[in-house]
Amino acid sequence: MNFSPLPYLDPGSGSFILQIVIASLLGLGIALRASWSRIKTLFGGKAKTEDQDDETKDA
Amino acid sequence: MPDSEQLAASFRDPSGFLFTRAGVLLRQVNRSYADEYTRLHESGLYDKLVKAGLLIPHVEADQPPAQAESAFRVIQPERVAFISYPYEWSFSQLKDAALATLSIQKRALKADMSLKDASAYNIQFVRGKATLIDTLSFGLYKEGQPWDAYRQFCQHFLAPLALMARVDVRLNQLLRIYIDGVPLDLASRLLPFSTRLDFGLLTHIHVHASAQTRYADADVKREAPKGQMTRNAFLGLIESLEGTVRKLEWKPAGTEWGNYYGITNYTDAAFEHKKQLVGEWAARVQPALAWDLGANNGVFSRQAAAAGAYTVAFDVDPAAVEQNYRQIKAEKEQTLLPLVLDLTNPSPALGWANRERDSFTQRGPADLILALAVIHHLAISNNVPLPQLADFFAEAGKRLIIEFVPKSDSQVKKLLATRLDIFPTYTLEGFEAAFAPRFRILEKINLRESERTLYFLEVR
Repeated sequence: MNFSPLPYLDPGSGSFILQIVIASLLGLGIALRASWSRIKTLFGGKAKTEDQDDETKDA
Repeated sequence: MPDSEQLAASFRDPSGFLFTRAGVLLRQVNRSYADEYTRLHESGLYDKLVKAGLLIPHVEADQPPAQAESAFRVIQPERVAFISYPYEWSFSQLKDAALATLSIQKRALKADMSLKDASAYNIQFVRGKATLIDTLSFGLYKEGQPWDAYRQFCQHFLAPLALMARVDVRLNQLLRIYIDGVPLDLASRLLPFSTRLDFGLLTHIHVHASAQTRYADADVKREAPKGQMTRNAFLGLIESLEGTVRKLEWKPAGTEWGNYYGITNYTDAAFEHKKQLVGEWAARVQPALAWDLGANNGVFSRQAAAAGAYTVAFDVDPAAVEQNYRQIKAEKEQTLLPLVLDLTNPSPALGWANRERDSFTQRGPADLILALAVIHHLAISNNVPLPQLADFFAEAGKRLIIEFVPKSDSQVKKLLATRLDIFPTYTLEGFEAAFAPRFRILEKINLRESERTLYFLEVR
């Protein structure tokens, strides 16, 4: 896999390895949530737009 | 070419740098950053972030670059009224700065961009809101790529917030020692065991710290096994950080919320009289920048702000600053900035060559300084001779509204109750004599129903 230019800050080996492990776990949750919301929409539920999500959460 | 001077803190990122020319702040965008800069604008991300108050606005400046050979553009960002640092922020300020960073990152992702750094120093309070001031923080994003700034985010935001919330709010002062954020192994050692029961803190701090130690010397190729760091995985990481930050709370203990001034010893009449005088005098000089030193929760700072000044409300008590910040948020006040500062040991110049972060006084002088009910703490509790106080105030500001609190005042009596009175010159006459070489008196008024005197002074 190719990455765009190397970062100007060292991401740190440990930080790099750990985030991939955690992220791949957490990514499953996001994927599940997306499917669930698609199922809900299918049965007449309201789809939540992602932009709205950001706006309401702004500090 | 006109003289341009590169800002001392602007050297890490090869994408460009800040410089000043004839007093105007400019940013050179280098050719190496051309693609990113173009995508930031063409994707609409810049407009969205500026509209949301999350990114500092800029205009493209019709100015020659400072280093022509590497230049792509010169932009002129809006100037921040007062630069503050995370070790001067209250808990909620740091928390809002963290959440702003993550909100920006989520929006960037939708435009196929990703923050390449997550430095708390890139966030400033603009019109009362945590705002990214580094236009060059955006990198191009391609699925499969990790978040290069993950470690920096944990060190600059998550670790100090967790320490403040779960150990002691004063631990944000660690940021004053560690310029690149709190080392995670240190945070992990200081945090109580109960934080291991929180999935976010367990993974992003404790396990993260162990992973750093374990793989410190590992030669890791910057690539994730195929299919692992998907866009969903990336978003999952950001949302996990967001949830972890959001859950951290701090409420000041031992502070009478909403009744902060209940503990003072003066009458309503004296308080109102003081408020009225501060308002009148501030309006007379129309200061652009005012500093309220010992601002408490900002009652008098608001008098200066009402006179049009961008007012920085400094206090040593993190609870007072927290309360002030929450009020500013609730009322959407745009010209007030509350900061934690110990006047007896104000923020020093820090960082590389001591030139990355300005000291407290380097960020002045203010047009107007308020020093209300503070002189006895400096002159008596901290033993600072009055002439030295005059020197300090004369360097920090051009005009000074200062309240003299005499020895007969119950607050001063309390300070002297358990110690030797070594302050024979701490009298009204002694005060005037000490300040006379540096200041001329514009007004001098005895506060109603009080033994205190309010002075309006101007630097000679």
